[in-house]
Amino acid sequence: MKWKRYLRLYRVMVTQFIKSIMQSKVDFFMGLLGFFFNQILGIAFLYLVFEQIPSLKGWTLDQLIFIYGFAQIPRGIDHLFTDNIWLIAWRQVRNGDFDRYMLRPMNLFFQVVSEKLQPDALGELLVGILLVARSMAKGIVITDVPHGVLFILSVFAGAVIYTSVKLFFAALAFWIKISGPFLQVAYEMADFAKYPTEIYAKGIRFLITWVVPFAFVAYLPASYFLKSTVSPGVIGIEWGIAVVFWGIAYWVFDRGTHVYESAGN
Amino acid sequence: MIKSLKIYLPFTTNELKSRLAYKGAFYVFILISLFGSFISYYLWMAVYGSTDRQMLGGLSQKEMVVYVFMAYVSSFIAISISDWVSEDVVKGTVAMNLIKPMDYRLSLIFRAAGVMVYRFLAPSVFIWIGIEIYKVTVLGLAPVTASRVLLYLLSCAMSFLIYVLFDFCFGMIAFFTTYIFGLMMVQEALMKFLTGQLIPISFFPEAAQKVFDFLPFSSMVYTPVMIYMGKYSGEMLVFALLRQAVWVAILYGLGSLIWKKVTKRLVVLGG
Repeated sequence: MKWKRYLRLYRVMVTQFIKSIMQSKVDFFMGLLGFFFNQILGIAFLYLVFEQIPSLKGWTLDQLIFIYGFAQIPRGIDHLFTDNIWLIAWRQVRNGDFDRYMLRPMNLFFQVVSEKLQPDALGELLVGILLVARSMAKGIVITDVPHGVLFILSVFAGAVIYTSVKLFFAALAFWIKISGPFLQVAYEMADFAKYPTEIYAKGIRFLITWVVPFAFVAYLPASYFLKSTVSPGVIGIEWGIAVVFWGIAYWVFDRGTHVYESAGN
Repeated sequence: MIKSLKIYLPFTTNELKSRLAYKGAFYVFILISLFGSFISYYLWMAVYGSTDRQMLGGLSQKEMVVYVFMAYVSSFIAISISDWVSEDVVKGTVAMNLIKPMDYRLSLIFRAAGVMVYRFLAPSVFIWIGIEIYKVTVLGLAPVTASRVLLYLLSCAMSFLIYVLFDFCFGMIAFFTTYIFGLMMVQEALMKFLTGQLIPISFFPEAAQKVFDFLPFSSMVYTPVMIYMGKYSGEMLVFALLRQAVWVAILYGLGSLIWKKVTKRLVVLGG
């Protein structure tokens, strides 16, 4: 019963949102173009680098492009559905906007994320899917059934890791009012994981694998689809991390909503 | 001259003061932008480690370290004024600027100069000193000469003008569409690429480099860094500086022309 109500509400919210996009199609396409173009230049950079070398620490250009594209899919999914979390970090707690969620008899996290879809994310998703499709056409990824299933599972877990990192740092705002800067630093660390982590110094490698675990969203699971020697256990660990980080993030968020006090006068 | 300085200089000092007042967000920005430099650093180390060649794109591995961080240091000149233009146009406050007896573009440039001074002080100059120490002690390269520092700063000053004058022209798009955010993202990404901030221009294919010779972008970051690293000398150095000066003149003229055209068709609602 309860689930049905949530689903119905989400559908209503999404429909409203799509209507608002349709009103300003130009804006929508410009945003899409912006994100799309950004990704394309990332690939162009790799091309230029590989003009000079045949492979990077044993990775070919095609493999790096797959890692790059693969990393965009969970990122895009999270970006599409939970972009509103940023607002908690930057202003909803500080100026008291969070009040209105507290007044409604619905799950708070659900209310926050259902309020907005971010269409710009489609640019990331599009690039991700195109690059993965390209890699499949080139035959450099393993395409049997178990890998296909784990691909979907991995993308899902990756999106959860993204959401968890965002929620955790955004929830800090309940104590410090504005946590946007911290969230931004954490979020941008995902850029490190676009390349094989073995190029980094030990400290950075540890940081992006276990502290802000973006390596498990991008490079590590991607290597499973590229190399038959990599154990599927890596997706298992990704799931473990997703569950643990989500648990921590949601717990902190929940604690935070209890200490939240409005900004009224 | 003195009189107009008196009018416009407060734009610079005010911007500087307000930046100094809200430092928090700025440190975050510094940290994040340094991420990019460190990713580049490690990536280039791996690239040089994957080949037997000593020089890539005309740079040795040690020089590449200097390049990566000097490109970051030099980015203090990259002040985006198109944000301000689009905000003024969308809100309609540009009308207020039109009725005041001053030049709108000049006021923006002076404002941008305030941001530039701030960004030079934090963090560029410290990273500059850091990389210079690292270069001499760890990499064992010769320290930079005083004359080259002066030429570098002269080149940076022109880079700043090229950047803001170009960005002003770009900001004029706001007069035609209110949604400029997507385009700004495209511009920002493209500029990082074409100015040499992300990768030295010498890594591009020959044909592309020839095209870039006729565009203002490489004069913004690549030229000052190359001058700093002593890659240009004699005639080439003079030519590089002259080309920058020419771009300042061209973009200044172009900006005036577009400004004249768009203000004729400007409609501001309300008051």
